[in-house]
Amino acid sequence: MKNIKFWALAGAFLYALSGCDDKDDNVVTPLMDVAYPQVLLLSDEGNGDLEDEDKFSFKITLADRVDPQGEELGGKVVPLEKDVTVQFQVTDMEGFSKLSDYVKDWTAFYEIDDCTTSEDQNINLNLTFDPATGIGSVRFPAGVEEIEVEFETDEDLFDDDTFNAESRGLVLKLVGLNANGQNVVANTTNAFEYKVLDDEGVYGEWEVGVDDATEFQNFKNLFGLINEDIKHLDADEVEEITLSFEYGEWKAEVKLKETEMVEECGEVEEENKVIEIEAEFEELEDDKLEGDLEFAESIEQEDGSEIDFAYAGSFKVQGKRLTLTLKGEYDDAETSAITLHLKK
Amino acid sequence: MGFSGAAHAQQAILRGKITDAVNQEPLAGAAVELAGTSNGVSTGLNGEFRLYATPGSYTLKVHYLGYQDTTFSVSVATGETALLQLRLKSNSNHLSDVLVTGSLQGQARALNQQKNADNIKNIVAADQIGRFPDPNAAEALQRVPGVNIERDQGEGRYVLVRGLAPQFTNINVNGEQIPSPEADVRFVALDAIPSDQLASMEISKSLTPDMDGDAIGGSVNLITRTAQSGRPQISGSLAGGYNNLMDKPNVNGQLQFGQRFGANEKLGFLVNANYYQNKLGSDNWEYAPQDNELELRDYELTRTRTGLSSTIDYKFNPNHEVYVRGLYSRFTDREWRRRYVFVPEDEEIEKLTKDRFEEQSILSINAGAKHTFQRFFLNYEAQYSYGEQDTPYDNEVGFIAGLPATFGFPTPKYPQIDAENFTDNTQYELDEAEFGHTLAKDRNITAKLDLGIPYKLGDNSGLLKFGGKVRRKRKSYNITANKYEGRGGVPTLDAFAGSPVKDSFLGGRYNMGNPLDVTSFIQYFNANPAQFELNVEDKNIDEALEAFDAEENVYAGYGMVRQQMGPLMVLAGLRYEKTNVNYSSKDVIINAAGDLESIRPVEGSSNYDFLLPQLHLKYELNKFTNLRAAATYTYARPNFSELIPSQEINREDNLATVGNANLKPVSAFNLDVLAERYFGNVGVLSGGFFYKKLDDFIYRKMIFASPYPLVGEPIIDRIDIAQSQNGNQANLTGFEVAYQGNLTFLPGFLRNFSLYTNYTYTHSDAKIQSRSASSNNPNATESLRLPGQAKNVGNISLSYEGQKFTARASMNFNGEYLSEIGGVAEEDIYVKNRAQLDFSASYAFNSRFRLFTEFMNLTNQPFERYMGHKNLLIQREFYSWWSRIGVKFDL
Repeated sequence: MKNIKFWALAGAFLYALSGCDDKDDNVVTPLMDVAYPQVLLLSDEGNGDLEDEDKFSFKITLADRVDPQGEELGGKVVPLEKDVTVQFQVTDMEGFSKLSDYVKDWTAFYEIDDCTTSEDQNINLNLTFDPATGIGSVRFPAGVEEIEVEFETDEDLFDDDTFNAESRGLVLKLVGLNANGQNVVANTTNAFEYKVLDDEGVYGEWEVGVDDATEFQNFKNLFGLINEDIKHLDADEVEEITLSFEYGEWKAEVKLKETEMVEECGEVEEENKVIEIEAEFEELEDDKLEGDLEFAESIEQEDGSEIDFAYAGSFKVQGKRLTLTLKGEYDDAETSAITLHLKK
Repeated sequence: MGFSGAAHAQQAILRGKITDAVNQEPLAGAAVELAGTSNGVSTGLNGEFRLYATPGSYTLKVHYLGYQDTTFSVSVATGETALLQLRLKSNSNHLSDVLVTGSLQGQARALNQQKNADNIKNIVAADQIGRFPDPNAAEALQRVPGVNIERDQGEGRYVLVRGLAPQFTNINVNGEQIPSPEADVRFVALDAIPSDQLASMEISKSLTPDMDGDAIGGSVNLITRTAQSGRPQISGSLAGGYNNLMDKPNVNGQLQFGQRFGANEKLGFLVNANYYQNKLGSDNWEYAPQDNELELRDYELTRTRTGLSSTIDYKFNPNHEVYVRGLYSRFTDREWRRRYVFVPEDEEIEKLTKDRFEEQSILSINAGAKHTFQRFFLNYEAQYSYGEQDTPYDNEVGFIAGLPATFGFPTPKYPQIDAENFTDNTQYELDEAEFGHTLAKDRNITAKLDLGIPYKLGDNSGLLKFGGKVRRKRKSYNITANKYEGRGGVPTLDAFAGSPVKDSFLGGRYNMGNPLDVTSFIQYFNANPAQFELNVEDKNIDEALEAFDAEENVYAGYGMVRQQMGPLMVLAGLRYEKTNVNYSSKDVIINAAGDLESIRPVEGSSNYDFLLPQLHLKYELNKFTNLRAAATYTYARPNFSELIPSQEINREDNLATVGNANLKPVSAFNLDVLAERYFGNVGVLSGGFFYKKLDDFIYRKMIFASPYPLVGEPIIDRIDIAQSQNGNQANLTGFEVAYQGNLTFLPGFLRNFSLYTNYTYTHSDAKIQSRSASSNNPNATESLRLPGQAKNVGNISLSYEGQKFTARASMNFNGEYLSEIGGVAEEDIYVKNRAQLDFSASYAFNSRFRLFTEFMNLTNQPFERYMGHKNLLIQREFYSWWSRIGVKFDL
């Protein structure tokens, strides 16, 4: 009995001492692995359309997490097991004061496949929206990766013939979630900005005069730097060349005369072949008719590596004409400053 | 002179135990011989000996440093075992004031064992460990000639013997290797083992065939305690202390109980428990010249060491005994690291805090038996040992500010920083938060058997010994690493600011401001998880790259003969060791765009074996003087980090960092010569020379523009591969001198002083692939010194040992050594010379109670590193001094 007491005492003493290691002193265990919740968040930071557009939309998505099967090394969306309801709110408006003047109708859907949406199958996401308060809610169904909420807008509200230096648009945020007993939270910090783009300014689609040999050659010299197909283009092959200034994005599209048969959702159509270049704006003084711009992107090489390109220069809008002067850099090569004259 | 007839002639056994006549302490290492013959042995740790003899009457001579030479008459008949209890008197009458008690008894025990050992070894007894202020096994070992240590936060951690890196020395507990709790290495961090647990430490610098052959630098054996007498022995200590840098206390205590039970004291039981809690820290700056980055690091730590050891032994009769020995040690380390990183090129300053808890535990259980028969003896043992390093949390959070900063070095010792408002926490935004945990396991199951057959060759006695061993090892490492970035909305650092932990940092030269409090941040993280994004790709890369599973099975056998020929002892033998290894891990392939392309499982295996001849000569010029020589073959296994086939194939950088499962161990030929002169007043003067030739030296080789994998179907046509490979040779030479003795030749008061000093000089020359090698000249080589090899290592310790009061000042000197091999010679990183001064004193109230005090690092010696040239200091870390005061008792 004495021995038992001795060992019990010794054991208790050692156990008490083990508490002096500060292991649990002021320690909070971070949420990790399965304890870390699913996160619902706005898919994009923003979008924008020209002022005569009659709708805009935003997407709510689940954040990537570790693939339980270990196949997607960069992570994947793991859909929810039960439906949840997400609340959102329009928080800021610019260029107008009454939301109901702009937003006329709303709908929500998700993609079932490339050709089918939930609307096609009459699936109701229980979207509610009150233009008076800007508050809405939508059901995010189990098994779905992303949903889209689309607003029909008044296409005439902002459509004018003058250049507007002031911003117009709205800001939207997620504000709450009914998780339905699941370990899922909503990101209520990030915002989605919708911006009305002024087509009296630099935004919109501009055309390069293919028939003007000088303009065509300048276009080739400028963008042939990063695209071998453009470098070797012949004007006879080209139907049309357009440069688009969109929300955060710049795009060049060379529509060739050569056509191809394209199948989309079971329908086959003959379409012109297209050479595309896309880049993101690093800088664009869109509140001016004349200013600086820079756009950049990277191009994947044959071995899978990527090389960055960048174009920087200035623009000047005069009515339906755009003068664009750019200098390009790609790998160790660069162009001189080249000016293009474009028209709407 | 026939061998077999002589062997059969030995049909009687003398068994005995030699103890101090006054306090009955066992006298280990005593020389016992039958007068007029060369038949002799030395006593083991428990003072016991076993001597085979032909039946008859003998005079038994016992010689023990510090004690009177004593003779005993004994008769033994055929088939009989004579039992002897022999008590020796100390030389106190002859040595005037030198009384061989207390600490001097420990020194005597160690030196007697060292003197009578067959091989070249140093022995440090527990009493001697207690004379120095060394709380863990690594720091106790630093006092031994030819040993230097690597420190962590000022405390000794790894042991380097004779200028060779820690992986060249094996670590044993009670004669059997213990596993390393750490993931990627074999060597054991000895700060996990409290010195209070040990009865003695043996550092064998030349191996005999009955020892594991995988030690080139040396073999360290830590021996736990055993009950010695029927009288209950209760001893212990209780102490508290102070750390000057942190202005915080430390506490430690030890309690030991031991007793032999039964009428004939057949059952022995000993248990020893100890605990040490130390609150420490450091002030540190580090500079990365290539990146032009400067860090200020403020460390705060709580470390504990808990030890529990026990021995239960049962002696059926004088010839047969069984035992179980257990050792459990637990080392914990809670660390807060608060730092700034100044990056002038990016006009950025980072501010980070790390909060980590690490627990290393080692469990070793040995169960075995010793049998003495009329014509042979048989020992066998099984061991289970397990090491684990568990890091339940390792959290680091970093914020970043876009602030301009510049720094310079008006003197190399301290940087001058020009960064306005860098302590303003409102300037810092979240950069990254890392939360993780790891678990490393290492388990050994070992069984071994030794058979000894004594024989007589003419008048000379000898011993044939054979044995075998099997060891099965399983080692694994698992890691969880989560790296989060903010999605926006996370407040600036001032929302998570804590309070400074020190009044000043680096002597008040820099203001560290209010540090980031990780706990406060995690509370915010848990409340707002949607504001954070897990980097899944980085998580997959980190976890796949580092995790592994390995199995290693070792089969060994040996045969040896020990022949005494008058004053000459010859020990010769052969050891064979075969190793089968299997590893599994994962390949991580990064594509040319820098993204994770794939993770694929890989496996590797290899088998190797070694035949290791060993020869030892020992010539006794007289009873106080030995000449020794040894020629031995040994080897050292590669670290797991070099072996496991874990690899990163980075096509973006065109570099594959590849493990090498086929890596061969480093093999070595070792030559040792030593002369030693012992003194009757318990001292020794020794000097020796050593030479080591290392083949298949492991180094990191670049293979330029190679297909990958190196064997089999290539998946990549051309990529540079960095891989540890064999092939090059290294030579290491050196000498060591040591003196320890009582200065009794001095007059009056001064005769109470004693001196302990040693010095080791080492030189090495290793050939590696030249750092200037390229695809045009891939075979270019260059010479450099071995990493970890310090040219000069030494100790000096002066002590006063009166009847009641003792005081000791000790200085340990670690010469500079190459720490990391850089891309070019100018980027080689060296650890600078470091000399630490410690002081200890004690006062004995009576034979049972003693007050003691210890002061460490009195001169606040920093840990310093430089790159390429001594003037380019890249790190200075200060710890200030710390102390202990307490009571030791022996009831």
